[in-house]
Amino acid sequence: MSAPNQEPGSPTKRPHTYDGIEEYDQRLPNWWLWTFYLAIIFAVAYWFAWHQAGFVVTDEARMARFQEDLAKAKAAATPDLSNESLWKQSREPAVVEAGKATFLANCSPCHGADLSARIGNTPLPGLPLNDPEWKYGGKPLEIMATVKNGSPDKTKGMQAWEPILGTRRIGEVVAFILSHHPAPK
Amino acid sequence: MNSSLKKPNLSSVTSINPDGSRYKIHPADVSGPWTRWRRVAAYALIAFFVILPWLQINGHPAVFLDVADRRFHLFGLTLSTQDIWLFFFLVSGLGFTLFYVTALLGRVWCGWTCPQTVYLEHVYRVVERWIEGDQASRRRLDDSRWTGEKLLRRGGKYAVFAVLSFLIAHIFLAYFVSLPHLWKMMTHDPVENWGAFVFVGVFTAILYFNFTWFREQLCIAICPYGRLQSALIDDDSVVIGYDGKRGEPRGKATLKDVGDCVDCRRCVQVCPTGIDIREGLQMECIGCAACVDACDGIMEKLNRPKGLVRYDSLNGLAGKPRRIIRPRTVIYTLLLAVGALVFLFSASLLQPATMTVVRMAGQPFFADTSVIRNQFQMRLFNKSSGKQQFKVVLPKEPHGLKALGLDEEIELKPQEESLHTLILTMPAGEFEDEFPVTLILKEGHGTELTAKLVFLGPAKK
Repeated sequence: MSAPNQEPGSPTKRPHTYDGIEEYDQRLPNWWLWTFYLAIIFAVAYWFAWHQAGFVVTDEARMARFQEDLAKAKAAATPDLSNESLWKQSREPAVVEAGKATFLANCSPCHGADLSARIGNTPLPGLPLNDPEWKYGGKPLEIMATVKNGSPDKTKGMQAWEPILGTRRIGEVVAFILSHHPAPK
Repeated sequence: MNSSLKKPNLSSVTSINPDGSRYKIHPADVSGPWTRWRRVAAYALIAFFVILPWLQINGHPAVFLDVADRRFHLFGLTLSTQDIWLFFFLVSGLGFTLFYVTALLGRVWCGWTCPQTVYLEHVYRVVERWIEGDQASRRRLDDSRWTGEKLLRRGGKYAVFAVLSFLIAHIFLAYFVSLPHLWKMMTHDPVENWGAFVFVGVFTAILYFNFTWFREQLCIAICPYGRLQSALIDDDSVVIGYDGKRGEPRGKATLKDVGDCVDCRRCVQVCPTGIDIREGLQMECIGCAACVDACDGIMEKLNRPKGLVRYDSLNGLAGKPRRIIRPRTVIYTLLLAVGALVFLFSASLLQPATMTVVRMAGQPFFADTSVIRNQFQMRLFNKSSGKQQFKVVLPKEPHGLKALGLDEEIELKPQEESLHTLILTMPAGEFEDEFPVTLILKEGHGTELTAKLVFLGPAKK
């Protein structure tokens, strides 16, 4: 390191040279400095508002609120489930229609579009759902449990549908199935 | 206020005084062929910018970056969120185009096409010249006390600037929300579209500040391309330069034994960044060619050949041979071509729908004495803006492979996603070993989606 060659009339130089490279020591533009000062002011205001005074909602609080909203929305979207309510839904055309669409897209390949689990004389993999026989329980909540969690016999191929369809759509599917059965008196 | 003429030097930026305060640059009027063509180019570009949202191609605006629906319409090509990876090639292609143009022609982008220059030189400064007069009057106005006239001129100028910034901000927003929606938002309560309202407000403020006060500081201190260029150019790139061999030593036109430069300082007066081009290539120079026209005008009056200040490479100015084909221009061309080709190729393969097929959870296959069964879940998504009808087609081979379900056509509305169960079966007697299945999904308009599956079954003893 050696001292730079200060020329008269030109800006002062920093007191070093590296491999002959010298550096002017000039003032930054004032507007530039102001961006720096404003950043400092902002940082202090931010620190005060966020960490000290709590003027701003923290991420933690916001996340807790979202979780709460989510739980509420979930509770609102989950219908009041009971054998009676599912029977009642099975007589509501709008719910049955929605259930039918889901059933045709996801369930009919195994259970048949008419719930008979057959196409003509060819049997399909699933069990028929239009007869009074229920292998895993025929009460609406039992049917719902089978759809939600899949067949209790894991070698039979019916998977758990809750992660894919969600509770609301499963309720609609169950209503569609029940619409093929006479409601209890 | 210090607005007496300042002499540029190489060691400091003219527009910043030694104490860090701003020195306001007032470029003098200049005319000539470069200035004229630059103005034509600028107005063409502004017209292009303004017209694009109005132009309809394939039922959408020519450029419509529909952020709300996550769909991007580019001159008839529609890209969905799923296609965003293509933008990598678009952006890198544009980047290499800039590299290429810089290596070849220096900062021609800055001087001719950059929005900063286009709006500053051809809109805002034009208004300033019209309201406040030529550079001498503007300097006088800067130095004068606040009188009614100064208030009127300054206020009028700033009012026009604000309106212009407001208009540009609105047109810019139209690229993201389309004109009908923009009009709807403009005619409704701001509270309904708070985000867009704040965006336009902030963007207007930024434009206003930039074109009213900040100006050349953006090019000198903020723009990354301006800083990159010194690494992109070489001695063969075309820049604006002063022919020192011809011009030096400077002297009065009446003197003998002096160069062609009469040291009239016209080139300095017209420079929008406040440099003296005769000191050589400098980082402030945006290649606007104002000094070329200024010098040519003087040379014409003196009956001397034009081009003392001209577009030329450093080698050309030094009297050495000029080269266009250099390693960097070749490499940039190749990279540019790669990006463009990959983009065009990928864009030509884009499908208006996506299909994903995964094996259903649980056992990989189900076998009894008569039949082997594989269960899949198929997710379909219609990316296009029209209805689509899909039909599943199974390969003819091997014999005995059948699909359950999905006999009906699947109809999807625009942006609709649907989930389907697909069961493939095979008579147990005909199953030899696992085999690949290519599932084809045909769409009414000729689109074909394919998915490669594997049909699994029990291993033969």
